[in-house]
Amino acid sequence: MATLETTFAITMLVPLLFSILEFGSALERWLAQDAATVQAARYAGELGGDAPELRVFLAEQLRVAGIDPERVSVDIVPSRVGWREPVRVSLSSAYPVTIPFLFSTTVPLRSSAISRGEVNR
Amino acid sequence: MSWIHDDRGSALVLTLVIAPLLLVALAGVLQLGALRVASARVRAAADLATLVAVNDQDDAELARSGTLRLAADAADVAREFFARELALSAPLLDRAADDIAAGADVVAYPSAPAYDARTGARYDRPTVRIAADVPVRTPIFGALVLRPVTILHVLAVSSPR
Repeated sequence: MATLETTFAITMLVPLLFSILEFGSALERWLAQDAATVQAARYAGELGGDAPELRVFLAEQLRVAGIDPERVSVDIVPSRVGWREPVRVSLSSAYPVTIPFLFSTTVPLRSSAISRGEVNR
Repeated sequence: MSWIHDDRGSALVLTLVIAPLLLVALAGVLQLGALRVASARVRAAADLATLVAVNDQDDAELARSGTLRLAADAADVAREFFARELALSAPLLDRAADDIAAGADVVAYPSAPAYDARTGARYDRPTVRIAADVPVRTPIFGALVLRPVTILHVLAVSSPR
């Protein structure tokens, strides 16, 4: 009887506790990715669009936040902007979530920010 | 009264009591987390909008007198970019981004010093300020007999350097 009870308790409580930890961690990563995106958008406005310096800066920002830049896809549209033209930076990654006894999945995390070209070419 | 001293099945009862509480805790964690993300996004939207507005200087004035002066359309630019940034988080919002931006209190102070009638702050440089109430969906709070929509108050101020 005690073994049955313990088994029941574990299969009920462990997934719930892991869900709290896993989804909390996913939300924290989403916040970090959002913050990196905003900084990248500002820098894109300053540089006038996509540039190697921006990619390096973004990779560093992600690394500092504990995110592997290799696993994040980056989209900068348009790649070159003139003065006063909007530039949009979008980041997308997949965060793996594993809940014991229930499921394993990946949660898509998307972040976008818009800035404006500051360079009068 | 021997059943009082019999603890068989107590773990089962305890689990059945704790499981709903943990479910509520899980729902609360998810909703609070989503609200934190929404709050950070709204703040970033307002910050970026004011930054974009003040980064565009009146070049003629700068060349003539060396003084930083905002472009004439700074307030409109701030409002437009606030709407654009909010639109990126549309699923989190309870109203259309354009409506929220249209209702925001956006003020440009093209020359300094200036005093903000809303906050009482003194600005020593040209400044753009956004103050807005942004309604955010919180459906899990609604299910837990709290408010299904949470209003986030945001205030962003930027000056050129």
